[in-house]
Amino acid sequence: MIPLQISPFQYVVNGVVFSSIIVLAAIGLSLVYSIADFANFAHGDLMTVGAFSALFSVSFLQPLLGDVGVFGLPLWFFLALAFGMLSAAVIAVITDRIIYEPVKDSGSIGLLITSIGVALVYRAMVFLSFGSESDRYGVTRQGPIPWVRETFGIAVTPRNLVVVFLATVLVVALHLTLTRTTLGRKMRATADNADLARVSGIRTSEVILAMWLIGGALAAAGGVFLGLEELVRPRMGFDILLIVFAAVILGGIGSVYGAMLGGLVIGMVHELVPLFNQWGILPVGSRYAAAVAFVIMVVILLIRPSGIVGESG
Amino acid sequence: MSVTSWVNETVVRDPTERRIFTILGIVTALLVVGVLTGVIGIRFLLFQVSLVGMYALLSLGLNVQWGYAGLINFSVAAFWGLGAYSAALLTAPNSPLGLDLHPAFGFLAAIVVSALVAILIGIPTLRLREDYLAIASLGLAEVIRVIILNERQWTAGSSGISGIPSLLEWLPLTSAATTASVVVVLGIVVFLFLRRVHRSPWGRVLRTIRSDEDLAKALGKNTYQFKMQAFVVGSVIMGIAGAFYAHLNLYIDPSDLVPLTTFYIWIAVILGGTGSNRGAVVGAAVVIAIREGTRFLNDVPAINTLGLDLAPLRLLFVGILIILIMRFRQDGLLPPKDELIWPAAKDKTTAAGGGGSGGPNAQAEGGDD
Repeated sequence: MIPLQISPFQYVVNGVVFSSIIVLAAIGLSLVYSIADFANFAHGDLMTVGAFSALFSVSFLQPLLGDVGVFGLPLWFFLALAFGMLSAAVIAVITDRIIYEPVKDSGSIGLLITSIGVALVYRAMVFLSFGSESDRYGVTRQGPIPWVRETFGIAVTPRNLVVVFLATVLVVALHLTLTRTTLGRKMRATADNADLARVSGIRTSEVILAMWLIGGALAAAGGVFLGLEELVRPRMGFDILLIVFAAVILGGIGSVYGAMLGGLVIGMVHELVPLFNQWGILPVGSRYAAAVAFVIMVVILLIRPSGIVGESG
Repeated sequence: MSVTSWVNETVVRDPTERRIFTILGIVTALLVVGVLTGVIGIRFLLFQVSLVGMYALLSLGLNVQWGYAGLINFSVAAFWGLGAYSAALLTAPNSPLGLDLHPAFGFLAAIVVSALVAILIGIPTLRLREDYLAIASLGLAEVIRVIILNERQWTAGSSGISGIPSLLEWLPLTSAATTASVVVVLGIVVFLFLRRVHRSPWGRVLRTIRSDEDLAKALGKNTYQFKMQAFVVGSVIMGIAGAFYAHLNLYIDPSDLVPLTTFYIWIAVILGGTGSNRGAVVGAAVVIAIREGTRFLNDVPAINTLGLDLAPLRLLFVGILIILIMRFRQDGLLPPKDELIWPAAKDKTTAAGGGGSGGPNAQAEGGDD
């Protein structure tokens, strides 16, 4: 799939695709961080749950719809994506109601530790229902788009385009929701100052419901795209969680737009590590990509703890 | 001082605790009977005792960080692994370094390395909100695991290091008995040390930081420095536990450095009772019982025929346990009580106040430190 002589732009293309996935995951994590005020360690495994829900729905959607295709991918894949997003959103809301809500009084640290338990339960459920093997959605492999390859010498597959396009659509939709709708304004107000929002008459329970629905759906979208680009694995979400956290911290905890920017930067750096290694800027190769993202996060914590977008102080 | 009053004063303080210790006593008695009747092999039991001791050390270390100072450290497995690898690399004859040193150097290296790494990770995170440390420490753990896995020329990678020597081979005991006694002695020393520092002014400042850091700052305490000290002390104890494990298992590979190991220790501490050293030890024993107990289920034919894979069930169990503790028993089994009060001070209040607080500790004779 990748030509022998890898053009530097190839890494940029990979970076854009990976960034889209990280951005989707980072938004949900950042929403929970700002509105529910805790670091949700179950967010990565929520991505896994979404990816596997989509995988489950493939088994009945594929025979139903056959090979009808849109944008170079079968129609059933898009429906499976929607199914995965819906399931993860519903599971996130249920988890909040039966697990997080009762321990709310123990504060952000109590919730953080509880979320570790939730993460393990999610992963165990995936292991128990789907086994420990990696899987694929079964979308027929397509080669890179010929004319792009001939003109620019880089491999761009149709699924790359679909991932980036859909991620952009979701991010724009979220932006419009946050800025143009009453719900979005309520969400931003609650994130800013929950007590003030409550005394102003905002029903924060409604906001929290919306937060879990949006965060869960976007996490699932990230998970499905990751599964489409790589493999659907039970540990995929947890393995990527650290990178997502790095993106959220880089952007400034609690800032959704910061999370988007952070996701873009961290995702790009993650994929550019082998290129930097080739150029002699970095002494380590792609096996340390996640470690490089982590080091960037630590450096940001040292010089600007509020993140690149957050207010200083 | 009679034995019963000493037990009442130092260990058992109320009916709940009495019940818990009765259960522990019964389990211990059953194990002894099991050994005497030959149902349980003595070697196996000693190995379990060593494991409990090692987990107790890890829990005590985490308790200094989380229980005393409120620091969320998710890299317990990494500090443990650093300790284990320091010991293994320096002492095993066939380690990639090939130094073949005395185990004492291994323990020394474990202490130095874990202290240095703790300082490195503490500098950027301990000034910030506590959840930054949680995220950064989980990241650190993954980075350390990836380095150990990939730098084969230094660490032998996934094939691991074997041939680590046993401890104190000159002792006239079996090796299982020697390692078990070593960890028991280590555990007692660490326990007494921690009990002493917990009651000291240093421990009091840490507890103030945990409940209200701004208050500690207002009282003129450099909270960053105190948190750093607690973080380093806890991490060094974890490093020592790791070095001990290398000499217990005689083989080490990176597969145990996964986050799940860290979460086991977290369960031990919060189940035992955050901030309580006795709780950390009891929690460690309970976690080992869960871990080793579920291993036996593999041999039960009924489960084998069902074709269930036990690893995910254990994961599920651990997750549910965390959620349930956080929901229903956040104090844990043995929450810290008046053991934080200096015994002599307790005597004075009893004498002055006429035993107002009641209970068996009202007749405390104290002075056992």
